[in-house]
Amino acid sequence: MTAVAQPRITQTHADVTRDVVATLQTPSRGYYILLFSAVGLFLVGLLTFLILIKDGLGHSGYTPPVMWSVYITTFVFWVGIGHAGTLISAILFLFRSPWRTAVYRATEAMTVFAVMTAGLFPIIHIGRQWVFYWLLPYPNQRYLWPNFKSPLIWDVFAISTYLTVSTLFLIFGLIPDVAAVRDKARGWRKFIYSQLSLGWTGSDNQWRHYSRAYLYMAALATPLVLSVHSVVSWDFAASIVPGWHGTIFAPYFVAGAIYSGIGMVLTLLIPLRKALKIEHMINEYHFDNLSKLTLLTGSILFYAYAMEYFVAWYSGNTFEQTTFFRRAFGPQWWAGWTMIICNAFVSQLLWFRKIRTNLTALFVISIFINIGMWFERYVIIVSSLSNDYVPWAWDVLNPTWADWGILAGSFGWFGMYFLLFARTFPIVAIQEIKEMIPMPRRRAGGGHH
Amino acid sequence: MATNVDRRKFLTVLGVSGGGAVALSGCSTDRVQKLVPYLVQSEDQVPGVPTWYASTCTECSAGCGVHVKTREGRAIKLEGNPAHPVNRGKLCARGQAGLQGLYNPSRVKGPMLKENGAWKEITWDDAIARLAQEVGKASGRVAVLSTPARGTFSDLLDNWVGAAGGTVTRWEPLDLEPVRMASRLVYDTDAVPGHNFAEAHFILGFGDFLETWNSPTEQQIGYAESHGFNGDAARHVQVGARRDLTGLNADEFLSAAPGTEAAVALAMANVISGGGSGPFASLIGEWTPDAAERASGVSAARITAVAREFAAASPGLAVAGGIAAQGDNALALAVAVAVLNSVAGNVGRTVLPAAAVPTGDGLAGMQRLMAAMDGGQVGLLMVHDANPVYALPKSYGFAEKMAKVPFKVSTGHFLDETAEACDLLLPNHHALERWDDLRARPGVTGLMQPVMEPVFQTRHTGDVLLGVARAIGGGFAQFTAASFEEHLKQAWAGSTGGDAGWRAALAAGGAWDGAPAPSSSAAAAPPPPTPAPAFAPPAAPAEGDFTLVAFPHAFLYDGRGANRPWLLENPDPVTKITWHPWAEISLETARRLDIRRGEIIRLVSDHGSMELPAYPYTGLHDRAIAVPLGFGHTSYGTFAQDAGPTPLDLIGPPGSTPWINYAGTRVQLEKTHGFKDVATTEGNPRQLGRGIAEAMPIEYARRGLTVKESHLAAGAGHHEINTPLEVEAIAGWREEQIEARKLGDYAEVHPAWGMSIDLSRCTGCSACVTACYAENNIPTVGYDDVLRGREMSWMRIERYWEGGEDGEPLEARFVPMLCQHCENAPCEPVCPVYAAYHTVDGLNGQVYNRCVGTRYCGNNCPFKVRYFNWYKYNEKAWPEPLHMQLNPDVTVRARGVMEKCTFCIQRIRGAQHDARLEDRQLVDGEFTTACAQACPSGAIVFGNRRDPASRVSEVSHDPRGYVVLEETNVRPAVTYLAKVLHAPEAGA
Repeated sequence: MTAVAQPRITQTHADVTRDVVATLQTPSRGYYILLFSAVGLFLVGLLTFLILIKDGLGHSGYTPPVMWSVYITTFVFWVGIGHAGTLISAILFLFRSPWRTAVYRATEAMTVFAVMTAGLFPIIHIGRQWVFYWLLPYPNQRYLWPNFKSPLIWDVFAISTYLTVSTLFLIFGLIPDVAAVRDKARGWRKFIYSQLSLGWTGSDNQWRHYSRAYLYMAALATPLVLSVHSVVSWDFAASIVPGWHGTIFAPYFVAGAIYSGIGMVLTLLIPLRKALKIEHMINEYHFDNLSKLTLLTGSILFYAYAMEYFVAWYSGNTFEQTTFFRRAFGPQWWAGWTMIICNAFVSQLLWFRKIRTNLTALFVISIFINIGMWFERYVIIVSSLSNDYVPWAWDVLNPTWADWGILAGSFGWFGMYFLLFARTFPIVAIQEIKEMIPMPRRRAGGGHH
Repeated sequence: MATNVDRRKFLTVLGVSGGGAVALSGCSTDRVQKLVPYLVQSEDQVPGVPTWYASTCTECSAGCGVHVKTREGRAIKLEGNPAHPVNRGKLCARGQAGLQGLYNPSRVKGPMLKENGAWKEITWDDAIARLAQEVGKASGRVAVLSTPARGTFSDLLDNWVGAAGGTVTRWEPLDLEPVRMASRLVYDTDAVPGHNFAEAHFILGFGDFLETWNSPTEQQIGYAESHGFNGDAARHVQVGARRDLTGLNADEFLSAAPGTEAAVALAMANVISGGGSGPFASLIGEWTPDAAERASGVSAARITAVAREFAAASPGLAVAGGIAAQGDNALALAVAVAVLNSVAGNVGRTVLPAAAVPTGDGLAGMQRLMAAMDGGQVGLLMVHDANPVYALPKSYGFAEKMAKVPFKVSTGHFLDETAEACDLLLPNHHALERWDDLRARPGVTGLMQPVMEPVFQTRHTGDVLLGVARAIGGGFAQFTAASFEEHLKQAWAGSTGGDAGWRAALAAGGAWDGAPAPSSSAAAAPPPPTPAPAFAPPAAPAEGDFTLVAFPHAFLYDGRGANRPWLLENPDPVTKITWHPWAEISLETARRLDIRRGEIIRLVSDHGSMELPAYPYTGLHDRAIAVPLGFGHTSYGTFAQDAGPTPLDLIGPPGSTPWINYAGTRVQLEKTHGFKDVATTEGNPRQLGRGIAEAMPIEYARRGLTVKESHLAAGAGHHEINTPLEVEAIAGWREEQIEARKLGDYAEVHPAWGMSIDLSRCTGCSACVTACYAENNIPTVGYDDVLRGREMSWMRIERYWEGGEDGEPLEARFVPMLCQHCENAPCEPVCPVYAAYHTVDGLNGQVYNRCVGTRYCGNNCPFKVRYFNWYKYNEKAWPEPLHMQLNPDVTVRARGVMEKCTFCIQRIRGAQHDARLEDRQLVDGEFTTACAQACPSGAIVFGNRRDPASRVSEVSHDPRGYVVLEETNVRPAVTYLAKVLHAPEAGA
């Protein structure tokens, strides 16, 4: 550990367990208000979806040639959100970044729920939702098989793999913590936590196996962070739509995904730490580091945006040029500028340490990031489709209640799970925090986490 | 194109069995209780095999011959009769939509009587008895209002009214009264002359002749012959206040102030006759080019140059068509154009006074009728095939005068405005349900026969007349025929020479003398001049005043098409607006008053006012405001009602002219703060240099240059479509394709279906669009979904503007855009479930059953010709009994799936099966797609590109051939031939 980045841990092991388990006690009124709002939003989305099934997708604002719009935008948005968790829990674990410990559980949960949310959209957005399983390669008497050339099939595999691995990773990481909660719990709760802790006793043997397995899982999850969003980006890049068809797309999307994921982490953690009274566990030190990561990925995005315009200009390709001109000055210029300002420019504020450690400022910035990244996908999808090869077919899409209903529903669905999780499982990783506390009993060097 | 073999075969069958269709059943909705198989199979009814009947189109007065395709006892499509001299196998959008008149949900389902202001259903016996009683009561004061269409029925009607005592008035809106009068004055023939467009070397238009005027399909066929490029092409100059579809097809447009077109025509005659000497000197002498420039705003230099070109072309053809010949100075214009044709020596060559089109009694007859009704001299009014309450301006007060008639009867198909004002409704059979004939013009008579059982409990008006005659007896004893069918056969017995001749005529669709088109052989000497009417150009309007140009809608025409969804959703060829009316204002007016598209403007005349969304249009004269006729129905079925106002409400009461003054009313424009989304299908009307609608000057086309060479010759920079790296990649891709083609079914020799579209022939008339809707069960989506760009038109006409800014002349380019059936289709690999795939014969297939609706194919299609079912259009688009029109060979698509042009795969497979059954090869031209079949210009050619002898191969190798978006390497199967621009000759 270097001298600059030291977590300020002042508690004892007992304090940590006490504080974290305290987060699982009877919730406050504020929690219920949040939970019911989330469930309410989810019901709005559900109702909208039922109407879409009944009548068809026409209620949504689809305006050919724009045949993908808010639903795919929101899909990519949630997949992107889902990237911060695995990045923080797996990649930073491999890089031995100490600041991840306090936040990784929350981000991992966020990842799983974000991917669960994203996974709904390919079903919601298709024309005949009830035959979505035709996208899966299952044996059938008609010898029908999906088209493995189609990026959408790659998507099916990428998302389902990612959901599986990140869920396993989350559950696996929870085992020692659940056991810690089990020890404090009573009644039927104790029974449930006992089952979930899979007989964890904390023996040295268990710890040895656990640490080894965690390391391997982290190694397994790491490439997924890069691959999943690369595959999602190929939904676009493998097409011939100007504004989509770019070799830059995979790294560009991965950087964007991490950027948006950390944005969402900030949005969730800043209020959550207060609500759960764990400010001392997740503090400025963590936010400073998260902000630096945000700054890095935000700058990559800045570069990518600039490079897109450069390529459009340098290629001499008139279709490409028109698309990018209209992104900035076309009928939906406001969306294009929202994306550039919120992502490329706002992230540059994080060069200042004062802002990085000012939680109010960070919270505001994180909201900008969320909005900006949603609009980035909106711009890429909607604005590019609005004006491609044949000018006669151009049209401008305006979203409708059905678009907003599903978008709201997705936040409700996500929020519902996240809130329930935060009250059911330790949102801060007990055992990893404990590891940060200097302990004479533990072997030096921290060989196994 | 070779004649349709299977059709000829079916017609032979028909000639033998005569009117077998009457015996067929299986189509009426409510009478069929049980499904019982045939005990004895009807000879001409094989389930799954279409039966074709020859008939005649009655959607306008042109009298085109049609072939009606029926399946299992239902008419499902109308196509042109290839042997018919008027339309030679082609049919316009309006004609094809006749089917939606037959199956219209708003049709009157049976006889009805109005009692205490409410309609009550009655029986036919009661209805006829009631009419007989009323005829007796009217005691010689019977008035019948009918159309100018003449035939055996109209003769019967004349005799019947003669026996009943009374008059028949023959009138229809937008009749060609001024042209007929001019013909009488100049050519001494009391009829509208025939025009031979095909032989004209220079066409000078003073109004529309491609949209609705006179016989548009026939005119378009001729126009494509002369103006389409085939080694050379006729030049077309158009003069007018509004650039309608005809104006957009012109090579040069001279914008004249509304009502002053006559000045230009007279000045041209003046130039040609050397300053106004000769027989017409008194008329044209004062109209020097300078005088005409002062009146019309058209430059004297252009008038002179065009006049010289026109005279030199020999023969040229000047046409006083469209709405210019329906306004204040319509007669002056018609006379001026007749004189112009006369001095240029076109009479007898391209203008054929002898091949006359019959007209009715004109507005004068209508005014006599109105006076008689007003004066209480009409005891019984019977309206047959007319809707004067709607079609006459309100200021004429027809409804009020009609109300003074004690008893009014309508035989209309619909409860339209006039029928609503009647007391008794005796709905006639639709033209496809009845025996009838139509004398289109001297020497051409079309026959109609029932092609199916009537959809509703309607009755032939001829049978009604005969029934009334039997009921009254006495003076009606002369009517002995038991039915109109018998009467018709008797009437034809003499001319056709017995039963065999009758059957031959029935199978042919009528009788006509040999010549397929108006003959130019009979050269007639110019007749002696008669006193010509003086022409006074209209006074320049006061500041802020505009001249109203109320023009017939390209598809709704005078309003009779307004309840047909096919016509409402087919975008107007000029503005591309669907489903509602609009008000065109010039760009200058829009700029001056700061009016944007869709802003509601109020038009106020001395006689009324109305609010309409504005459509700023480059092709309109600053002094004009143009509003389409056809909307504004208050009673014409669900599709027609509440669509917006009709400009007829602005037009004043009849003046001195014996025609309705459709152009010339003074209107003021007021701004409102309202806004209406204009349901146009236009995206971006500029090509942005993307080479979608290519064009080349005629001199390059004559030299046989390719599109690329023509760009180079014109001094455009050399532009390589692909970079060397891309070329290399494409070569590698080709190798792979060749390997892939060696696999499975693809290794066998198959046809490669393809199409070519000649943009020098395409006029943008949109007949192909409706043909496609009819053939492929394409749903109409309505105003709201058109606003969201969701129209399902597998075939659409893109209309791109060139120029039109900074004083450059405006040019329109029409591109029929359909699925290009790319060899390297981008839509195919992205489909996750193989719903989009490539057939072995080069089609881009779409499996509706397999489609889950990801719409990725639609996004990846560079031509944007894939259409998605956003709603359950299949349940909404065809309210009963409109669903009877559906083609049983084509799947009706459910919501949630993608659909697109299939190159009419059902026709391909049908023809292949027939050939297989007969153990022979498919012959090129044996069948074609619905769009190619309908195209009056013959711009579309379909066939097997792998067969080097096929027509499509031949046409595709024309130097003008190009494919759209070549740089994407999608390798379309559709080749376009560049449009040819015919600028004024150098020095002209």
